[in-house]
Amino acid sequence: MAWITERRRRSRFESVVLPHLDAAYALARWLTRNDADAADVVQEAALRAFRYFDTYREGDAKSWMLRIVRRTCYSWLERNRPGDVLPLDEEEVLDEEVSSAPGAVSNTESLLQNRSDLRRLDVLIEALPAPLREVIVLRELQELGYREIGEIIGVPIGTVMSRLHRARSALRRAWEGKDIDDAV
Amino acid sequence: MQCDGIRHRLEAYVDNELSGTERDQVRDHLADCPECGPEAAAIERLREGIRKSAPIYRAPEALRSRLRFALRREAAATARAARSAPGWLAYAASILLAVAFGSGGTLLITGERQEDAVANELIDSHLRSLLASHLTDVASSDQHTVKPWFAGRSDVSPPVVDLAGEGFPLVGGRLDLIAGKPVPALVYRRREHVINVFVLPASGGDLAAILTRRGYSLRHWNEGDLGFWAVSDAAGAELGEFERVFRTATSG
Repeated sequence: MAWITERRRRSRFESVVLPHLDAAYALARWLTRNDADAADVVQEAALRAFRYFDTYREGDAKSWMLRIVRRTCYSWLERNRPGDVLPLDEEEVLDEEVSSAPGAVSNTESLLQNRSDLRRLDVLIEALPAPLREVIVLRELQELGYREIGEIIGVPIGTVMSRLHRARSALRRAWEGKDIDDAV
Repeated sequence: MQCDGIRHRLEAYVDNELSGTERDQVRDHLADCPECGPEAAAIERLREGIRKSAPIYRAPEALRSRLRFALRREAAATARAARSAPGWLAYAASILLAVAFGSGGTLLITGERQEDAVANELIDSHLRSLLASHLTDVASSDQHTVKPWFAGRSDVSPPVVDLAGEGFPLVGGRLDLIAGKPVPALVYRRREHVINVFVLPASGGDLAAILTRRGYSLRHWNEGDLGFWAVSDAAGAELGEFERVFRTATSG
């Protein structure tokens, strides 16, 4: 019967997805940089995930959920704060090759240099462009591997590595430069 | 090995992404090299710094309960859409609906099967309320807080009384979806036991007043045009006592 089927579907969804709600919220919080927006995005993402739950196959529920949360974040940002999302051409520069993309890094650095509160790494992370911020958050805070990160943000592992490298270089230059005698 | 061959694998090493011989090679090199060693240490220091300074974000409780409610609404909408589809599924669903919400004797099935359907449904709701740590939508022992909360959220307005004096303190209220309809549930406690009281339109048929299913006790009674279903893992006699004091308090 329809409502029994729906109820089973909902219970199963809750048992698969709700354990990852903290991770989902954390990612949304880092990407939107705001509590209320993060909550809205996570709710929207969860409902979306519920609608497409039939497409979920047994597997890594966390990656599946984070992928949907991330996509929802980006479309939310494009709608509400288009300035927060890097334009595509700059994204392509980022993707192109591994060790040095002067344009992207120096942009990021100048972005970071303009902050007065450079001592705080959390502030520095928030100032990173979203594609760099998300790899740092997923790697260093969610402690995910390259393969999972690649699945979540939908790029090859090589791109994960290059973005991670870029994000770390930018953070280190800003942090170590200003913080040399106060290294943690 | 030369630094050139190591540098681009340094971060993968620190991230524990290398395996076997490759990892060993990098590790050996880092032990000796005056440049690569500190470089790796700096990446690790950055990681420590990030973990120390970054706030740990957790999904707020308000988001969790909001989400559960939204999911229930969504599931109900889907079920409703499915019901409006023709075919045996819709027919079967309408029968069960008539059972759960049968008013004025429009029961289509009688006997054991219908009781089981309702009992199972309510026990499931009871269990879910315990498992999902979603016992209440409105947590209050104040009947004047709980009762108005239901206004506009449900078709029926349940009488709410605190029975702490009788040993059944009111914990709060909750909205469950049963057969796709929002149904108020009043939550009481009896020592370590939880009692859920579901309030539906009065059932028209001769449903059993006392049931035991899957180790849970159920008691059912009508009062005016409302039908009450108390579900608990408390002993049957205690639930009987609860029914008595609840009915005394609400009919007075």
